[in-house]
Amino acid sequence: MQDFKTKLYNYEADPPAEMWQNIHNELNTTKGKVVSMRGLNRRPKIIFYGITAAASIIIIFLISIIFSKSEKHQFENDAASLTKTERQLLNSKKIQDSITLNNKILEGIINSKKDKNLISEIYENSFNKIKKYITIEGPEGQPVKISPKVATLIESADNEFPPKPVWNKKIEKWKQIMLISTLSPTSTNLMDIVQSSSSNDTDDE
Amino acid sequence: MELSNHIPSEIDLIKGCIEGNSKMQELLYKKFSSKMYGVCLRYSGNVDDANDLLQEGFIKVFKNLNKFRGEGSFEGWIRRIFVNTSIEHFRRKIKLYNVSEVQENTIEDTDLTALDNMAEKDIIALVNELSPGYKTVFNMHVIEGYSHKEIADILGITEGTSKSQLARAKGVLKKSLEKVINKIS
Repeated sequence: MQDFKTKLYNYEADPPAEMWQNIHNELNTTKGKVVSMRGLNRRPKIIFYGITAAASIIIIFLISIIFSKSEKHQFENDAASLTKTERQLLNSKKIQDSITLNNKILEGIINSKKDKNLISEIYENSFNKIKKYITIEGPEGQPVKISPKVATLIESADNEFPPKPVWNKKIEKWKQIMLISTLSPTSTNLMDIVQSSSSNDTDDE
Repeated sequence: MELSNHIPSEIDLIKGCIEGNSKMQELLYKKFSSKMYGVCLRYSGNVDDANDLLQEGFIKVFKNLNKFRGEGSFEGWIRRIFVNTSIEHFRRKIKLYNVSEVQENTIEDTDLTALDNMAEKDIIALVNELSPGYKTVFNMHVIEGYSHKEIADILGITEGTSKSQLARAKGVLKKSLEKVINKIS
């Protein structure tokens, strides 16, 4: 007597008669399936396109880096090639441009009842944007970076426009603040420059 | 198509099938189809699923014949393909929840000796009454001889779950067997 495990292990049954034909057909269909090969061919294409895209991005990135570097280099070369006098001239031209712009804005503000911010915005937009900072020479000959807008303050010490009383009052006020302040002013400080400029002005008078 | 009376050796069969010889493929099918259909019926429990499994299994066999290294018996290799195909096919149905190792009432195989006196078809019918989870573990461990660790790896469960499922399967079988015996007596 066989035990049930062996019986089950060796259990056999006849499959349906048409089964072989189905398998045979399936095998032939699979043989004829060029689709899988197409899939295989397509895969390298996708990889190829992917690599091309990645390479293009890298090339564009590198070119942009090189271009920006060469531009910077060119700018540095240009700056280096300028003589001291030329640089001073350029700086003074920038200061003059800034003063002209600021004066225009101030004139607009003084002569108009419109919103001050709006007027300054209109002027700034209409005028060619000048560099964010301008470099001027400090009392000890050291370079000092200041905003172009503040150039007017320095200039105002000698010029008639904008009206002196307006700025003098402001400067006096700032001076008081600075004197009260525990911070010790340095020569690179904007207020020192303003102060020295103002004191010169007083001496002249 | 008339097949020649000459029965080729297993190696010739394999070679012929790898070369895509239809006659050899048919011979191989005829040689193993009944046994493999039995395996399919044992795992599926119904003719329709068993037919699908048989077809799918033989397609796999013919496609992967070049991977057969000749280690172990050829029939064992084919059987493993069919068992794996059956497990894959019913994986969705088999919902085995991992359980912590619980002490199940151990049912010895001796409790199932009454099965020995039954006809194969009747035993199959009893086994097929088991839920897919119980049936799979029962077939794999008791009939196919897989260890609990192998079953756990294949089904993605713990060894504890495999043991527990087997114990429960045996319990259900024992009850069914008792009912059958009571009916006869």
